[in-house]
Amino acid sequence: MRAAKKGDMQAFEELVARHRDKVYARAYSMMRNEDEALDLSQEAWVKGWQRLKQFQGESSFATWLTRIVINLCLDQLRRRKRQPTESIEEIDEDSGGVERQMPVVTVNPTERLERAELRQRIDRALAQLSYEHRTVLILHEFEEMEYKRIAKTMGCSIGTVMSRLFYARRKLAALLAGWKDEELT
Amino acid sequence: MMDHASQLELQAFFDGELPENEAHDMANRLARESDAAALLTELRNTSKALKGFESDIKLPESREFFWSKIERDIARLEQAEPAVRAPEPLLARWRRLLVPASAFAALVLMVVVAARQWELPIGFGSGVRPAPVLETALADSGAFTYRDQSEGITLVWLSYPGEKGVADSGPADTLQ
Repeated sequence: MRAAKKGDMQAFEELVARHRDKVYARAYSMMRNEDEALDLSQEAWVKGWQRLKQFQGESSFATWLTRIVINLCLDQLRRRKRQPTESIEEIDEDSGGVERQMPVVTVNPTERLERAELRQRIDRALAQLSYEHRTVLILHEFEEMEYKRIAKTMGCSIGTVMSRLFYARRKLAALLAGWKDEELT
Repeated sequence: MMDHASQLELQAFFDGELPENEAHDMANRLARESDAAALLTELRNTSKALKGFESDIKLPESREFFWSKIERDIARLEQAEPAVRAPEPLLARWRRLLVPASAFAALVLMVVVAARQWELPIGFGSGVRPAPVLETALADSGAFTYRDQSEGITLVWLSYPGEKGVADSGPADTLQ
């Protein structure tokens, strides 16, 4: 790290090699697209190099760089959001929140699943969430951010974070259980 | 059935974001209400399912290929903005400070020299008045000039050769 901060490119390449999967995984979780995740994770590394002198070591380097890629993904998703499309989740949320009436998934639907199958199911379920719901879930579950920090990152209130997180979790639980949309109401 | 506010409160309890006294109340409620306990179980299972999900995601490119694009972008940016990244030499920084300081000093010096040249009062409000100047313009003709800058007057005494004796014995003619 010290060598990379002094401008040693080879040392920086070592850092990239060490943390590239984690940074890419975060971009992929948020974007749900391999090419975009690749581009954004590479952009994050370039920005990381440019800002390396600002890294004070308050968090781990991986966390610091992951925050950079999260912000890049959020910017990209916001730009995409400006295009006039409306997801099912947004309609659900606006019309009163189906997650409040959903029956609780009492058995653990993922208990007997193989790891690969579980991953596929989570993958599909995450893809069905709107970017706002997915992002809140990722920041909380994977990045372990507190509500307040998520609200600041996403530019919304803590109440909105709580609502979105609740909706995302309930919807995910139902999707993991293999429930169809018509079964959720 | 729990209302929405209670559901969010339960979620905050699960996430460890509820204040201690409220967390205590929620724990009691969970012991009493089965639907609250069931919802907590669901939240816990969902969270558990997500654990380790990202660790299975791997970069779909080789290390070299992934790095080559980063390296290329860094090189391109550094070529585009060399002035931003390159530290300014010490001499250049000193020069940047010294040039305006020297110009100011030169200006002050010019004002002082000009003031002395034209006998302008320096130090307004100091109460110092310039002393009157008495000079002999032509020593042979016996003409004297009295100049008082503060009063704005100039007196010249002229002595004509024919009056030399008169001048020596009586007061001279005065012109103003």
